[in-house]
Amino acid sequence: MNQTDRARGCLVGLAIGDAMGAPAENMTAEAIAARWGEVTGFLTDARSGTDDTEYAAFSALLLLEHGSALTSEHVADAWVEHLAGRTGGFPGAGFSELGTVENLRAGLRPPASGEHVHSWSDGLAMRAAVHGVFAASDPAEAARLAAVDGAVSHSGEGVYAGQAVAAAVATAMSGADVETIVDAAVQVVPADSWTAQALIQARVCVENAVRSGRSLDVPALLEALVTRRYPWTDLGPEAVGLAFAAFIAGDGRFDTVVPRAVSMGRDADTTAAISGALAGALCGHGSIPPEWVEIGPVTGRCLGDVVRGLMLSDLAERLVEVHDAE
Amino acid sequence: MPSEDHNVPHNEASDARFAGRYTGADRAAGAILGLAIGDAAGWPARQHRSHRLPAWTRRLRRELDVFAETQDVTSLPVPFALNQDPEPLRFGPSDDAEWSAWTLTWLLRLGAADQQADAPTWSREQVHSIWLDAVETDTVPRGRISVATAADSLRKGVRPPRSGYDNPHHFDDAAAIRAVAIGSMLDSPDLAADVAEWDAEVTNAGDGLYAARAIARAIASSRLLSVTTDERATPAEDEGSEGRIRSMVWRASATTSSSEEEPLGGEGNLPSLPAQVERGGALHENLLRELPENTLIGRTTRAALDAVAGTASPAEAVPLLDDVVDRVYSYGTAAAQTVAVASAMAVVAVRAGAPSIDAVTAAACLPSLADSAPALTGALVGAAHGASSFPDSWVRRCRVLVGCCAPALAGVDLLELMKGNMGEQ
Repeated sequence: MNQTDRARGCLVGLAIGDAMGAPAENMTAEAIAARWGEVTGFLTDARSGTDDTEYAAFSALLLLEHGSALTSEHVADAWVEHLAGRTGGFPGAGFSELGTVENLRAGLRPPASGEHVHSWSDGLAMRAAVHGVFAASDPAEAARLAAVDGAVSHSGEGVYAGQAVAAAVATAMSGADVETIVDAAVQVVPADSWTAQALIQARVCVENAVRSGRSLDVPALLEALVTRRYPWTDLGPEAVGLAFAAFIAGDGRFDTVVPRAVSMGRDADTTAAISGALAGALCGHGSIPPEWVEIGPVTGRCLGDVVRGLMLSDLAERLVEVHDAE
Repeated sequence: MPSEDHNVPHNEASDARFAGRYTGADRAAGAILGLAIGDAAGWPARQHRSHRLPAWTRRLRRELDVFAETQDVTSLPVPFALNQDPEPLRFGPSDDAEWSAWTLTWLLRLGAADQQADAPTWSREQVHSIWLDAVETDTVPRGRISVATAADSLRKGVRPPRSGYDNPHHFDDAAAIRAVAIGSMLDSPDLAADVAEWDAEVTNAGDGLYAARAIARAIASSRLLSVTTDERATPAEDEGSEGRIRSMVWRASATTSSSEEEPLGGEGNLPSLPAQVERGGALHENLLRELPENTLIGRTTRAALDAVAGTASPAEAVPLLDDVVDRVYSYGTAAAQTVAVASAMAVVAVRAGAPSIDAVTAAACLPSLADSAPALTGALVGAAHGASSFPDSWVRRCRVLVGCCAPALAGVDLLELMKGNMGEQ
């Protein structure tokens, strides 16, 4: 399997997870089961990605333009050019995106632009797979690039959650096993961070299931990772914890991992997008079930013309080319 | 709980009147009373107090919200009693005042336990153990998302500071509210800030911690600023109630207690300027000292203070401070917002020599921050000007708790509590 196949698997996998999870976003696992039964594929006929796909595409464009010379200033300029001037809102975006835009509109620059009350959101984690694709086999470099991009919109745990995803994807791009991929994510973030704790808890939950010979205890996993007294589902540590749990429990197999992430609910489009990116990078584009693989171009509903019409598969190939050219 | 009219205190006139203006005791009481007054002034107080009524009254209110939307009418529902005793819906304090009282209770308990020792030592562990005991006995009052999350974590065996750090609302002002009580009780601003941080790290991190330190320091420092000649109360008025309150308060250290006629502020020894300008400057400086520039709260507070630099009254500051208000998020208790606005309002009021109540009512004009910005504003101006600087009509209505977050505190008189007396329950 070559790098291009893994890169395409990663970004197409991200878009599939995003689209598959979108109808289940903000639902509970029980409500999803009651409505759709066991999740085995797309829940509805809608097959287009949402914010996760569009922001990932946006970050990919920045890497294509600047390569490893990317700076937070480049990223901030792009947000100002393409996002801050938008009228009519930001469909699909979370608190962290609008918080960032408001900061940029007020004249703040990174890292201050990423310091708002949702700096720990999963908004960088949802787009950081592209940094792992670009810096394939180099988790430290992937994490560095994710932090460069993330400084515009996140800080603290929000950046760590993105770095964990980037490092894991970079490691998956080298064909490492699931264990090694998760290790890479844990090692790239501070040991005492919320994100590291969430990843470790996710791993322990899966190991407990394996040890007892039972299937993953989803209620126990949610109990460990979800902050019940908080009404939103956008916490970075929680999202990466759930996404990695699905990835580990499904042993990295795309057709198992993505529906499992969807079935757990919460920020299901983001958790399924992250787990889809991980599994796609590990197993390659060829591992994606043929009935899922046809995913359309980016609609631009969230970010407009800058990403409208882009094909994730093409972006993946170009990321590999630009990296090889460096 | 007193059956009738429990917002009105004992038959005596306000104790604050007897305390003498600008005494340490009056200012300590002013911080707590100012917090309660600001708490009552914000519209959310009524919502919180409605928790003394059956849950179905609040369910009907939510349904009326939907009704207004579906029927396209502008009539918005307010807390109502229908066939219940409407007493809890009277004007008065709510969550913030109860959290300050809860904090006063453990401060007094620790102080009382240490009274025998000449130099009692307070430790981080001691403060944390207060919370562990409260979780164990299920006596943590109803509180903000940060507090509820931390209590859940403590129950699961997570320990501070993790309970405050792994917390989606680590940035809120729950600990800053509690820090008012700490600043009102501990005589050393340094120690007040440290104790506030030990308490804050149970439920908060980052901005939430800086905010608690800043509020504790500002309150303690304002109380201890030297009394200038024109402000000084007559000694005869001081003696009694200050002595009573002080006897219940542990003196951390004599080193930072100001000696009389000590110049105000660090750099600006400007005796020619009116006292209030110096006082405003000192408050400004004490707040910013704990709020690093490269943090969200450091930036917002500086922006708020800059915005009101040329403002002559708190009311005038309202639209200027609206520019600081976050319009993105669903909750208005981020310390970076409420502490910023409260700091600016208090500095304007103190600098201009405006009536304390004017700062509070102005802060209540920013609706999304009205849950706590008026309370923090009241605490800061109260610590600077004393309880006696508030109108008696407000003091009478705001000194007694309703028990909407901590039912055990229903009927508690804040001024009595500060003297170590839990009152009749």
